[in-house]
Amino acid sequence: MKILVPIKQVATLDEDFELRDDGRDVDPDYFDKDLNEWDEYSVEEALLIKEASSSDVEVIVVTVGPDDADEALRKCLAKGADRAVRVWDDALEESDSLAIARVLARVAEKESPDMVFAGTQSSDAAYSSTGVALAAFLDWPHAAVVSKLDYAVGADKAVFHRELEGGLLEEGEIQCPCVLTIQLGINAPRYASLRGIKQAKSKQLDELSLDDLGLSASDVGAQGSASRVRRVFVPEKGQAELIGGTAAEQAERLARIIKEMRGM
Amino acid sequence: MNIINPAHDPQDVTRTLFQDFSTWMTVSFYVVAITAIAVFAYGVWMQIAKYRRGAPDRGWKMLGHRFMTMLKEVFSQRTVRRRDKPAGHAHALIFFGFVLLFIGTSIITLDYDITGPLLGLNFWHGSFYLWFSLVLDFAGLALIAGLLFMMYRRGWLRPPKLDYARPDRNPDEPDYNRSQYRIEDWAFLWTLVIIALTGFVLAAARMVWLHADPLVWDYRWWSPVATVLAYAFKGVGLTADGGEILRLYTWWFHGILALAFIAVIPYTKAMHMLTAAGSLMFRDPLAAQRLPTVPEEAVQVGYEKVTDFSWKHLLNLDACTKCGRCHEACPAATVGLPLSPRDLVLSLREFANESQWPKLLGGDPSKQVVHGDGVNQIRPETLWACRTCMACVEICPVGIEHVPMIVQMRRHLVEEGEMDPLLQGTLQNIQKKGNSFGENKRKRARWAKDLDFEIKDARKEPVDMLWFVGDYASFDPRNQKVSQRFARILTEAGVDFGILHDGEQNAGNDVRRVGEEGLYEMLAENNIEALNGASFQSIITTDPHSYNTIRNEYPDFGARFAIEHYSSLLDRLIAQGRLSFPKTLNYRVTYHDPCHLGRFNRGFDAPRNIIRALGLDLVEMQRSGDNSFCCGAGGGRIWQADPVGVEKPSENRMHEAAQIEGLEVFVVACPKDVTMFEDALKTAGYEGRFVVKELIELVYEALGHEKREREAADVA
Repeated sequence: MKILVPIKQVATLDEDFELRDDGRDVDPDYFDKDLNEWDEYSVEEALLIKEASSSDVEVIVVTVGPDDADEALRKCLAKGADRAVRVWDDALEESDSLAIARVLARVAEKESPDMVFAGTQSSDAAYSSTGVALAAFLDWPHAAVVSKLDYAVGADKAVFHRELEGGLLEEGEIQCPCVLTIQLGINAPRYASLRGIKQAKSKQLDELSLDDLGLSASDVGAQGSASRVRRVFVPEKGQAELIGGTAAEQAERLARIIKEMRGM
Repeated sequence: MNIINPAHDPQDVTRTLFQDFSTWMTVSFYVVAITAIAVFAYGVWMQIAKYRRGAPDRGWKMLGHRFMTMLKEVFSQRTVRRRDKPAGHAHALIFFGFVLLFIGTSIITLDYDITGPLLGLNFWHGSFYLWFSLVLDFAGLALIAGLLFMMYRRGWLRPPKLDYARPDRNPDEPDYNRSQYRIEDWAFLWTLVIIALTGFVLAAARMVWLHADPLVWDYRWWSPVATVLAYAFKGVGLTADGGEILRLYTWWFHGILALAFIAVIPYTKAMHMLTAAGSLMFRDPLAAQRLPTVPEEAVQVGYEKVTDFSWKHLLNLDACTKCGRCHEACPAATVGLPLSPRDLVLSLREFANESQWPKLLGGDPSKQVVHGDGVNQIRPETLWACRTCMACVEICPVGIEHVPMIVQMRRHLVEEGEMDPLLQGTLQNIQKKGNSFGENKRKRARWAKDLDFEIKDARKEPVDMLWFVGDYASFDPRNQKVSQRFARILTEAGVDFGILHDGEQNAGNDVRRVGEEGLYEMLAENNIEALNGASFQSIITTDPHSYNTIRNEYPDFGARFAIEHYSSLLDRLIAQGRLSFPKTLNYRVTYHDPCHLGRFNRGFDAPRNIIRALGLDLVEMQRSGDNSFCCGAGGGRIWQADPVGVEKPSENRMHEAAQIEGLEVFVVACPKDVTMFEDALKTAGYEGRFVVKELIELVYEALGHEKREREAADVA
C-alpha cells in the first residue's frame, strides 16, 4: 500500500519586499521558503492512515523544485514519511500548475500509489489546480477541498466531507485510487523537530530528471504551460483610518468624516 | 562524682537481655528478627535493581563532598523546616528520636551479638549504660512528642497541601482516589507511636517487676520517663508478678511490631529514610538552571519509557514524602491547571513500581511507556502546564528534580511532534528567523533607531560591555521603550557598551525548556559564534531568561562568558556614584522576583538595593524571594494560550499584590513580566489602581529624564 503526497516549497513574504526586475515575481532576496501550509495537512492525513493501519503503508512525498526544496521534503521525512522524490530540470522554470501536474502524473505512474493526497492550494501561487490537474492526467476520480476523510487501507471506496459555500458540508464517496486535495483543519499536523529534520538526512531522497520520467523540455516550462504570469503588483491602497481617543472624540471625528464625505 | 554505687560491680549495672526467657523464646525471636531483616534487604535490593534499570546520570562525581553535603542537610533538617517551621521541628523530634533509638538498638546488638560473643568484649554496662538509658529515654519522649504533633496536624490542622486533591484527574477517574495514601500516612504515625509507647510500657513494667533488685531500682532515675510510668503502674496496684507478665507480653508485642516496621521500610512511606538521603546526596544544585544535554549520536531523545529515566530520577520518585510543599508552590496547581508536581511524581512512582517490581509484588513488565491517558500515565496537558519556574525544585525537602524530568518528557513529545499549534508556529519562526516574533532578523535593533545616539555594533568595534538584549526587549513595542531607557541610563553612567544588532538570536532558554533540544543547540551555537566574533569584557543582559542560559547552559557548549543581569550592574553604578538621582520617588511599591533572576540565579538583593536607593517604599508580597510566584510565561508558556475560564498565574499574582494597601507600582525586572502582568492587571480588574513598571523605568524617572522629556515635548 502506497500513498503519494505531492508537496510544494512555497515562498513566504516579508512585510517589506521588492519585485523582481522583470516585474513578474517577488525578488527572491525578500522571501523565506517553507513547506506549503496545506501540505502539512495532506502529509499528516497520510501519516495518520499509516499509523492506524496494521498492514504496511508507505508514504512517499514528491515535489518539483530545485535543490533547496529538499528542505521541505526533509521536514516531511522528519514527520514520518518513508521516502522522498524530487524532480528538477532547469527546463521546469516557468512551469504553470498544469505542467507541474504533468510531471507529477509521471511520478504517480512510476510509483503506482493507491491514493494521492495533495494540498488544496499553495499559499504563494494559490491556483488550487495542481492536484485536480494531476487527477485529470491520471484519469482518476478526484475530490477537492476535503475536510474529513474516512478511508481504510485497501478499501475500494473512501468517504469524505468537502467544504462548500456558506458553511455547508458535502458528504460523498469516491472510487479508489483517487486524488484528494486536502483542506486545512482536517487534522492537527505534527511538529517536525530540528533534530528529526537532521536525522531525516539518512532517509531515501531520490532525484529524478525529466529523462527519468520520459518527458522532454517541451512538455514543461513555458512551452508546456497553458498560462503565463504577466506581472505581479501591489494594488493601490484604499483609504482607512483608525479612530482613537475617547468615545466623544471618536464620535466627533466620525461626524466630521461623514460631513466631509457629504460635502457639508 | 561516681554515679555507680561503690557497693555494685559496674559490670552488673546493665539490662539483662532475654531475662528469664526459655531457649525456644530466644530462638523464636532470632528467627523473627532475621526474617524481618531478610524482608528488608530484599526490598532494598529490589528498589536498587529498579534504579539500576534507569539511564546513567552524571551524579557520581565528588562523592565525598556529596556525602558530606547530604549529612549536613539531613542533620540540620534545614530543608524540612523551610516554609513549615512547626512541621519541621516536629520532624526533627521524630528524626533525632528515631536515629538515637536506632543507634541505641544497634549498640545493644553490637555488644550482645557481635563484640561480646566474638571478642569477649562487653561494654554495655556501668556508667555508659546509665548515660545510654538517659539519652534513649529522652529520645523516646522526643519521638512521641513529634509524632503526636504530626497527628494533631493531620487530624485537626489539616493543611490543604496534605489533602491529596489532584488537579490532573477528575474525581471519577480510577487513579484519582488516593485514600490509600491517607491510610498509609496514619498507619505510619500510629505504628511509630505504638512502638515508642510500648517501649516505655515495657521499661516501666520491667522496673515494677524488678523493683526489689537494687541494680535496677537504685538507678531508675536514669530512665525518668519510664520511672514516672512505673510509679503510675504501682499506683494503680501493679505488683511485681503483674509487672513480669506485662513485661513479657509487651516485650513480644513491641519487639514484633518494631521488627515488622523494619521489614516494611522499603515498601512503604518509611522508605524515605533511605531514599531521601540518597536523593539529597545526588542532588544537582543546578538541576533546573542547566538542563541535561543530549549526545549528538543519541537515537532517542527524552523520556518515553520508565527505563529512559536516569537512575537518579527514579530514586527521586521514591524519595517523595508527599509533604505537598511543591503542590503549594506550583503556579499551575495553584490556579487549577492539570499539573501538580507532587501528583506527577507520585503517578510516576506508582507507574515505575507497576512496571519494574517483580511479578510477585504485582509488577507488569508490559507497562513501560509513561505517556498516555491510562492509570498513572502522564498526559500531555499535564506536561505542557508546567512553566519550569523551579518553585517545586526549590522547595522540595528531599531534592527531587521535577523540572528536568518534565522537560525530558516534553522532549519526547516534541520528537513525536505533539504540541500546541501556536507553539509549533513560534518554534518554526525561531527556526527560520531566529526570533519568536517571526520578524525579519534585520529588525532586531530597530528600537535603537529612535535614540539620539548610536549604539555601537560590538561585532565591528570593541566595547567594555556587550548588551544581550533578548527577543522581548527587542521586538515587543512596550518593552522596546524600556530598552531605549536602559540605553540612555548606560550612556549617562558612561558605560562603554554595544549590541550584536542582527547577529543576536533568541538565546534559547525557553526553547530548551519547551523540550526542542535540536533547535536550542542551533540557537546556542549561533549565539556563541556571534559572541565569539565580538570584542567585549563582559555581557550584560536585561533578560533574565537569556541570563540563565548564557550563564549556566552555554558552558556545556564550550562557551564561558562573564555575564550579569542589569540589576547588579545598576546597583554597582549607584554604589560607585556613577548614577545619582536628583529626583526622589516616593511611591509605595512591591517587587516581583523574576524566576530566572531570583530562584534560578539568586539575584534577590540587587533589585531591592536599587529600589531602596530610589527612595521607594518597598512592601514585600507574601510570596517573594525564593518563593516568588511565576508570572506564567516560563517554559514556553508565553507562546501558548492559557485555557479560557481558568485563572492565569499572573492574575493570581495581581490579586496578591492588590492586598498591599496603597500600592502604586508593581515593579518587575524582566520583559516577559511586563507583558504578562500588564495584561493581567487589566483582566484581573486592577487597572487604574496601580501600575506595572520595569525597574529600569523607575531608575530612568529618578534620573529626572521624564520631566525633561515632557518639557521638550511641550516646547515642541
